[in-house]
Amino acid sequence: MSGHSAKPNPGATDVVRLLAAWLFVGAPLAWGIYATLQKAAQLFR
Amino acid sequence: MSGLGFLARARIVAQPGYSRWLVPPSALAIHLAIGQGYALSVFNLPMTRLIGVTKSAPGDWPLTWIVWIFNIAFAVLGLSAALFGKWLERVGPRHAMFVSALCFGSGFLVSAAGIAAHWIGLVYLGYGLLGGIGLGLGYISPVSTLIRWFPDKPGMATGLAIMGFGGGAMIGSPLATTLMDHFKSSRSAGVTETFVTMGLIYLAFMMFGVITVRVPPPDWKPPGAVARKPFRLVTTADVSADEAIKTPQFWLLWAVLFLNVTAGIGVLAQASPMSQEMFPARIAASGAAGFVGLLSIFNLAGRFFWSSISDFAGRKRTYMIYFALGALLYVLVPTTGKTGSVGAFIACFAIVLSMYGGGFATIPAYLRDVFGVYQVGAIHGRLLTAWSAAALVGPTLVTYIREAQLARGVPKTEAYTITMYIMATLLVAGFFCNLAVRPVDAKHHVKVP
Repeated sequence: MSGHSAKPNPGATDVVRLLAAWLFVGAPLAWGIYATLQKAAQLFR
Repeated sequence: MSGLGFLARARIVAQPGYSRWLVPPSALAIHLAIGQGYALSVFNLPMTRLIGVTKSAPGDWPLTWIVWIFNIAFAVLGLSAALFGKWLERVGPRHAMFVSALCFGSGFLVSAAGIAAHWIGLVYLGYGLLGGIGLGLGYISPVSTLIRWFPDKPGMATGLAIMGFGGGAMIGSPLATTLMDHFKSSRSAGVTETFVTMGLIYLAFMMFGVITVRVPPPDWKPPGAVARKPFRLVTTADVSADEAIKTPQFWLLWAVLFLNVTAGIGVLAQASPMSQEMFPARIAASGAAGFVGLLSIFNLAGRFFWSSISDFAGRKRTYMIYFALGALLYVLVPTTGKTGSVGAFIACFAIVLSMYGGGFATIPAYLRDVFGVYQVGAIHGRLLTAWSAAALVGPTLVTYIREAQLARGVPKTEAYTITMYIMATLLVAGFFCNLAVRPVDAKHHVKVP
């Protein structure tokens, strides 16, 4: 608590980096799964 | 080479405090991209109409020429994975991912030039050869890195990446359709523009993996990991790739992968006509397309689910389940046809396809257990020749048996009965190959000076 609080919190940076990385690959995968599920739904119509 | 210094293994050793959970996204960036290879058939019809646009015209490529793009790419996948595995272990994952991204991305661009010039040879060279090298290198590049980062759960870690390969097809198909819809005009089906765009998108996407991948420092151990009692097959020794192929264990595991993939891939290729022919009054063409989509979901989910289970149950036991349960389900399929039970038919194949995907995803960790981590990526690359062989045998076998049955006068609804029993027999053979896997003799271990 020296008053030099401008340093970023390494824990928070890690969480942001993890979220960004997983979102980058997770979003297109989720889109692909959604498109496939829509196709699969035809089986039950 | 100084300009390419950022590719060196020494430059990607993780700093203290680095989260290992950043590594699976980098592996997924590669596998989600190269998994597009499984969705290549989305271009089949538009590529037969490059001149005629709305229908095939004289001079348009026949479908029999176009399917060779896929065949060449997947044959080169197996070859390059086998040939470049040791190089990958030497130069590290970033360098291999970088070359993979360049090959895969430029494969699209060279193919686009071939499509624009209407020269199929250039498309074979582009997507087939260059793209195939990108596929093979990309497939094996993150494997040993993930195993080093996750020594406590190697099945789950490699399963995540290999699940990405299954997911890549789910992204590649709607992406290609969306782009072709966007680029098409009265004079063009938009295939050239789609290839250029996809090449650039995949190059950029794979570069995310190249930039973010890290290797653990030597002797790194996961903090807080709970040590489990190791299974009997798990070795602490190492076997080199050259030595591994001299062991019976390698060839038994080759047979395990070959038999598991043959049994799944043949049915996957014929899933649409089979469901319609076994249930003619119940499943129409749109329903059959839905059935194929559902199988893809189970194939994807099985890659993560079963490989994660294998970390607790052991690799050998997990493959026992694949083979025993798979054989039982194949034997049950003809009964579902006779009783008209569509639900049971779907359930049987959904579970079988989850184990087909699981077989792909669990094999890297099985290789780690048996041969150690030293050159596991290279050994995995050589084992993938089993996949290439199965991709050739499986669909041919299923198609040939069906034709032979129909020629003998067997009704279409029962034309797959013998096929199912043969698939079950293949899985029983796989069960015994897996049962025969024992720890590698110490004479094959890498000697520590």
